[in-house]
Amino acid sequence: MSKKINLTLKVWRQKNCKSPGAFEVYEAKGIDTDMSFLEMLDVVNERLTKENIDPISFDHDCREGICGTCGSVVNGQAHGPVKGTTLCQLHMRNFTDGQLIVIEPFRAKAFPVINDLAVDRSSFDRIIQSGGFISIKTGQAPDAHSLPVLKGRSDSAMDAAQCIGCGACVAACPNAAAMLFVSAKVYHLNILPQGEPELKTRTINMVKQMDKEGFGNCSNEYECEAACPKEISVSHIARLNQQHRKSNFT
Amino acid sequence: MLDSKIPPGAMSDKWTDFKFHAKLVNPANKRKYKVIVVGTGLAGASAAASLSELGYQVESFFFQDSPRRAHSIAAQGGINAAKNYPNDGDSIKRLFYDTVKGGDFRSREANVHRLAEVSNSIIDQCVAQGVPFAREYSGYLDNRSFGGAQVSRTFYARGQTGQQLLLGAYQALMKEVSKGSIKLHSRTEMLDLVVIDGVARGIITRNLVTGLIESHMGDAVVLGTGGYGNVFYLSTNAKGSNVTATWRAHKKGAFFANPCFTQIHPTCIPVHGDYQSKLTLMSESLRNDGRVWVPKTPGDQRKPTDIPEAERDYFLERKYPSFGNLVPRDIASRNAKEQCDAGRGVGASGQAVYLDLADSIKRLGKETIKQRYGNLIDMYQKIVDDNPYETPMMIYPAVHYTMGGLWVDYNLMSNLPGLFVIGEANFSDHGANRLGASALMQGLADGYFVLPYTISDYLAKNKPVDPKLKEHAEFKKCEKDVANYIQKLLSIKGKRTVDDFHRQLGKLLWDKCGMARTEAGLKEALVQIPKIREEFWKDVNVLGSGEEFNQALERAGRVADFLEFGELLVKDALDRAESCGGHFREEYQTPEGEALRRDDLYSYVAAWQFNGVGQVPTLHKEELKFEEVHLAQRSYK
Amino acid sequence: MSFQIFDLSRSITKKQTVAITGLMLISFVLVHLAGNLFIFDGPKPFNEYAEHLERFGIFKKIAEWALFLVFLIHIERVTSLVVQNIRAAGGLKRYAVDNSRGPRSLATRLMPFTGTFLFLYLICHLYDFAWANDQGIRSMINGKSLGLYGLVVNSFKNPIHCWLYVVAMYCLCLHLTHGVESFFQTFGIQDSRFTLLVRKLSRVFALMIMIAYSSIPLYVLYILKI
Repeated sequence: MSKKINLTLKVWRQKNCKSPGAFEVYEAKGIDTDMSFLEMLDVVNERLTKENIDPISFDHDCREGICGTCGSVVNGQAHGPVKGTTLCQLHMRNFTDGQLIVIEPFRAKAFPVINDLAVDRSSFDRIIQSGGFISIKTGQAPDAHSLPVLKGRSDSAMDAAQCIGCGACVAACPNAAAMLFVSAKVYHLNILPQGEPELKTRTINMVKQMDKEGFGNCSNEYECEAACPKEISVSHIARLNQQHRKSNFT
Repeated sequence: MLDSKIPPGAMSDKWTDFKFHAKLVNPANKRKYKVIVVGTGLAGASAAASLSELGYQVESFFFQDSPRRAHSIAAQGGINAAKNYPNDGDSIKRLFYDTVKGGDFRSREANVHRLAEVSNSIIDQCVAQGVPFAREYSGYLDNRSFGGAQVSRTFYARGQTGQQLLLGAYQALMKEVSKGSIKLHSRTEMLDLVVIDGVARGIITRNLVTGLIESHMGDAVVLGTGGYGNVFYLSTNAKGSNVTATWRAHKKGAFFANPCFTQIHPTCIPVHGDYQSKLTLMSESLRNDGRVWVPKTPGDQRKPTDIPEAERDYFLERKYPSFGNLVPRDIASRNAKEQCDAGRGVGASGQAVYLDLADSIKRLGKETIKQRYGNLIDMYQKIVDDNPYETPMMIYPAVHYTMGGLWVDYNLMSNLPGLFVIGEANFSDHGANRLGASALMQGLADGYFVLPYTISDYLAKNKPVDPKLKEHAEFKKCEKDVANYIQKLLSIKGKRTVDDFHRQLGKLLWDKCGMARTEAGLKEALVQIPKIREEFWKDVNVLGSGEEFNQALERAGRVADFLEFGELLVKDALDRAESCGGHFREEYQTPEGEALRRDDLYSYVAAWQFNGVGQVPTLHKEELKFEEVHLAQRSYK
Repeated sequence: MSFQIFDLSRSITKKQTVAITGLMLISFVLVHLAGNLFIFDGPKPFNEYAEHLERFGIFKKIAEWALFLVFLIHIERVTSLVVQNIRAAGGLKRYAVDNSRGPRSLATRLMPFTGTFLFLYLICHLYDFAWANDQGIRSMINGKSLGLYGLVVNSFKNPIHCWLYVVAMYCLCLHLTHGVESFFQTFGIQDSRFTLLVRKLSRVFALMIMIAYSSIPLYVLYILKI
């Protein structure tokens, strides 16, 4: 059953990537526990607007946990305290009356802050551009049934392909490494027979681009897996390490 | 009367003939043409990638931070194709027939046939791109059945088909970006269409991070900007989904067709509070294994598990024995509303019906159900805090998709030469109701297999645009208009928030122009909407400036457009004095309460011409002729 | 198949360099341990073993230099990775609340510190035993030089030295707990089915190394009568 709770928010406010940011404290009163976290922020923003205070900027779009747009660090945890959940699917029943909630943007050199909680994750797009695709042109592709794919392989590819590209893995990694994101994409394509011809160049190029973007290095602490809203396994990172090792020999 | 430019000849030869007769651009000349593509959903991304592969210069614009965020990503259930892999009697003809019938005879036959023809190529293309569709142990693709069809023609990737298809298109887009032939403009919103001498020549955009307003010129402008479901405020659309691009094109002369055809999806999580920001869809595939029911006695307060079988009314199975729970969306939605209106609704608000998986769990086991719908059930559990394995889910219809959109001819070109509209943004293929798993099909069909041919035909007939045209006064004027408009929004400094107005408009439209519409209600809405709009321009409060990242400003512009568009939506609904598909006018129903079409009077596409805000728009009609599928009362009994 | 000179600066290659040098150091740790355990047999076998090693002459020198190089590479690569990581995360103080949800353990967090401590201890250790005069005053037991054996026994009879050694071995244990497990992950000889097993085994291995090494000073201090 839903009830009303009062919260104190400590929110990171920052004009843009060049100016320094700071925390501001806001009260969030009468929050319905059935609200989602973003709906709670909506309510706070409505109030701030009425008081002529600039509302808090935060990225969001689908609000059903699939587009990967939303995401902040809530009390030190990317996407908040519930496992396998994006911020938009986090509900206020997971908080208690009177609780202090600290909200910060995903922090990483490769994710510069745009405004308040919104960050620039275009580095992920550039990693995909470096090889996260299968080079087939639109046109007469062979009949879908001409290439059977082992169910196990297809399912594993799907497990990896579920990544929503939200960047929580980077935010949660103590080194701001993007290995979970990169490995999931590499593996999705590498394990399928369609993706095999480009396996080596894809693997090498995506890792190169990842380094170039200024992400950190994986030190096998597995914080990424714990923060991933799609619970993508770190075994993908092991597979990337392996394929990268093998791809050095062409 | 509008000319739809349908090629002559037999239905099944039209597209082949068109492709043969279409003019081609010499490969060496292609790079001299630039195409502007707005939107990176299934239609926009696939179009941009395919056009770039052909050799055109492409510039892609989207308001999200990455092309992969477009709302196509949220489609759950699947994508149709006439592959007939299960050998259950499917064919191009049947898919075509089902889609025309499902659309309640308000779509253009030739377009639908083309859609059915290219559907198979989509599956081939996506598999080649590495889309991990569900497979059987044989290694071959699995199919399932979906609402409104009696064959299993739906391909799916768990409950995330839209995501996987969009990632496929996104990856194709990224592949072209890496070659340098597509330029991406992220966090950039189209705010105006530039029309010079009646031809679409470019767009005006605002960079959402810096606020910079810019002109972009091209040989053709393609809008793949999605539907306008958010005019209802609460819908299953993403928060950012808007009508701005299509509406502003409409204001520049493009006709808006059939805006009253909106789809209400039957299986969404019910509304639970006035703070609610959006509604969440539960894939319709749940109806494959879930039974929809309400208690027979109105106001029954018992727990659903305590209500014995004899006191439950499985109303869809009772009324439609041959389709049962799998009737098309409009019918399922309307019946749910009917039950709730009769007081048999369940849940705290009484605005919900049960979707019960218990029988399927008994028959197939919990594991199988978990495999099929695990992610949906998890999502439901997170939002509602209830366990669907033990108690039935509660569902209620919600605005989901809009069949209406900018008017296009067979070539997907609007009445403005050079302006092409694809995917949900156009009106063409779904008539008055869309069948499940057809939106993904249409988006990709338009982008991968239709637009590349039709746009080439258009470009081949026109010389590449002179770069000097960028200096044309019209570009400067449009930039200035956009800047002034933004300034106007910022200068009101009233008392109410943007969302406040949006909620007010949405509620009005849902009440008066939602699942069931009446003449009196629509007329009432036509009085109310201008008032809300006037109030908005007097009392909205948008803080901050236009030269920075300002989400309230973004929303204000979109809501301002919804406030204008809503009026057209209602006007169209009032004008169409018949019931068909998603458009249900209470005055026009059969004795059993089914939609009553009036083919003699309304067998046309209503394409509206803009005459100014608050002015009566001019109606243009496109006659719909049904040569292959004969007009008949839809029956799913 | 042609051999391509691959880019050593790529993040994964760097990590794999750390892993492979780590593996070499582990094998050294094992060989070294085997030799050390001769101490339980008394002075003669222990000193003979040490002298036996000396007989390799030039090869021993080469092995020592190679080992030194491995150490150097291990440390240099790790330093470079750590610096990059701090930079990527935008400094050491990242979030206002430090509240990680994952399995990040003490061993993992302390990796650079246990490593640094081990390195410093190693210098002391070399100074103590390898570079010391094994016929000198520190090797005398009951007025008679017992060579390296004497050196070791005398040192560990000092409780501070003894316990410093044990602490160093605890650091080694922590370092290996994460290091061994990481080796499998970084080299990609991993499968999600074995993740937990690998984690447990690396803990057991690290613990055994610690016990085996620490047994020597503890034996000398508390059990050995001279």
